[in-house]
Amino acid sequence: MENPKILIVDDDVDHTKSIQIILESNHYNVVTACDRNEGMEKAKLEKPDLFILDVMMSTWHDGFEMSRELKKDPQFKDIPILILTAVKERTGLGFKSTAGDPEWLPVDGFLDKPVEPENLLSEVTSILSGKS
Amino acid sequence: MTPVPENNRLYKRAHWLITLRWIAIVCVVFGTYICNSMLAIELQATALYSIAILLAAYNVVMLLLLNRFNKGEKEVTCREVKKIINFQISADLLLLTALLHFSGGIENPFVFYFTFHMIIASILLSLRESYLQATFAVLLFGLLVLFEYMQIIPHYCLRGFVSHCLHRDGPYLVGTFFVFATALYLAVYMTSYIAVRLRRAEQAYKQANLMLEEKDRIKDEYVLRVTHDIKGHLATIQSCLSVIVNGILGPLDEQQTDLISRAHKRTITLTNFVKKLLELTQMRLSNKLEMESFSLNNTVDSVVETVKTKAEDKSITLKSNVEPSADRIFGNQFSIEEMLTNLLLNSIKYTPESGTVEINATSNGEGILVEVADTGIGIPEEEQKQIFDEFYRASNARNIERDGTGLGLSIVKHIINRHGGKIEVESKNGCGTKFRLTLLKEKGSQHGLISSKTESLTSG
Repeated sequence: MENPKILIVDDDVDHTKSIQIILESNHYNVVTACDRNEGMEKAKLEKPDLFILDVMMSTWHDGFEMSRELKKDPQFKDIPILILTAVKERTGLGFKSTAGDPEWLPVDGFLDKPVEPENLLSEVTSILSGKS
Repeated sequence: MTPVPENNRLYKRAHWLITLRWIAIVCVVFGTYICNSMLAIELQATALYSIAILLAAYNVVMLLLLNRFNKGEKEVTCREVKKIINFQISADLLLLTALLHFSGGIENPFVFYFTFHMIIASILLSLRESYLQATFAVLLFGLLVLFEYMQIIPHYCLRGFVSHCLHRDGPYLVGTFFVFATALYLAVYMTSYIAVRLRRAEQAYKQANLMLEEKDRIKDEYVLRVTHDIKGHLATIQSCLSVIVNGILGPLDEQQTDLISRAHKRTITLTNFVKKLLELTQMRLSNKLEMESFSLNNTVDSVVETVKTKAEDKSITLKSNVEPSADRIFGNQFSIEEMLTNLLLNSIKYTPESGTVEINATSNGEGILVEVADTGIGIPEEEQKQIFDEFYRASNARNIERDGTGLGLSIVKHIINRHGGKIEVESKNGCGTKFRLTLLKEKGSQHGLISSKTESLTSG
């Protein structure tokens, strides 16, 4: 079986690099993009098995917008999304309870930044296995 | 301290007037009795007692009227309270004139007690209203003196106090009346001079208070922005270091591992600190909290689940119990969960191995009492007042963990304040700590948002 492909969309390239290494060392194929437009282009081009999105890119809710856009698109609506961000403190809200609400936050998982490698890997594994 | 709204201030003063009147009534009754029976001064006792009874009845009516305003729970406007105060002072002047009439008229030195009414009027009412009251008093007294002089109404001589009746003594009347009238006007002039200045000072104080609030908000926004930027960078540094520390790129030698681990740990500490600071600042800045009713039992379960491993690591027994009657709680679920987690983690951190940490919730009349108790190191008594202050850490806590944030309990206190609740601490150095929290029970009509900015200000 081919290794799953993950697309990371995050404007913090250093952070992207660190999780790219973690994922690649566990035999995932990783593609990266640093903003929403590039993210959508890469999505169409690479057809990943999982999206990892940062919420706060050029505007503070870019990641939410992109996840809504993806879930509306028939081509991507079945591909899981993992939100990885520091936004919790910005809004004073815990998103965990609302993650998965298709209207508001149509994502499959949610992790706070910074994330420890083992947490990231277990979340990714569980999301990908849930899908199949 | 927040400035008291003008209408509340007046409302309280109106009650004060009523209290003063009770005192006056008692004095009239006692005075009459003493003059009559001990000093052998001839008084129209029946008339004076009747007026005292009338005063008492009128005072009760005033009290009921004010209380009705209170019960209606609608905001009483300044104008309404001023109307009541104006009416009360006028009625008092009238009754005082009647009292004087039956106790010697101008022969009675108590005529100068009119001055007190002028002082009260000048403090509570506008300048114009005060002068009108003064004029009313001068008019009443003038008419009393005039009518007694012209013998339109009878004069009751104050025998035993004056040697002969003075009510037809022209120069005495003119002199006393002149001093009386000028005394009243001067009293109004002087008192309102001071009262106006005090009111202005209060106004300036209110303005300064508002300005400080605004400055505080600007500072919070600044802190929020700065800490948020710092946190972004720290998160990335921590992620990059984790890759190395976890040996993902291959093993390191002993010294390399040691140094990188130290850097990694420090980054984690710093990230936690910045996170807490962000959380607190965020809370200080937001005015509204979404309130709903939810199950405290489920919340406590989820909190216990979160902290369980930390307790197990130290073989600490973790007990929880929520009485069924204390289950439905009203508040912001996320904040309450956060607050209880903070308290439990604190207890676990400062409780030695094999200790006990307990969380219990019981119904307490109107509210819910949540108790978080541990068998930990306790908080020295002299430091208990400061533990909720931002960045404060108890001396013995610093020995356990050098790099704590000192923000955990400030966050707890903030959340409690925003819920209109209470938190108390009971602790002895070395003998454990118990935090007692009072929260709101579910109420049918309480859904929606509450504004808690003022709350956090008054208690902060």
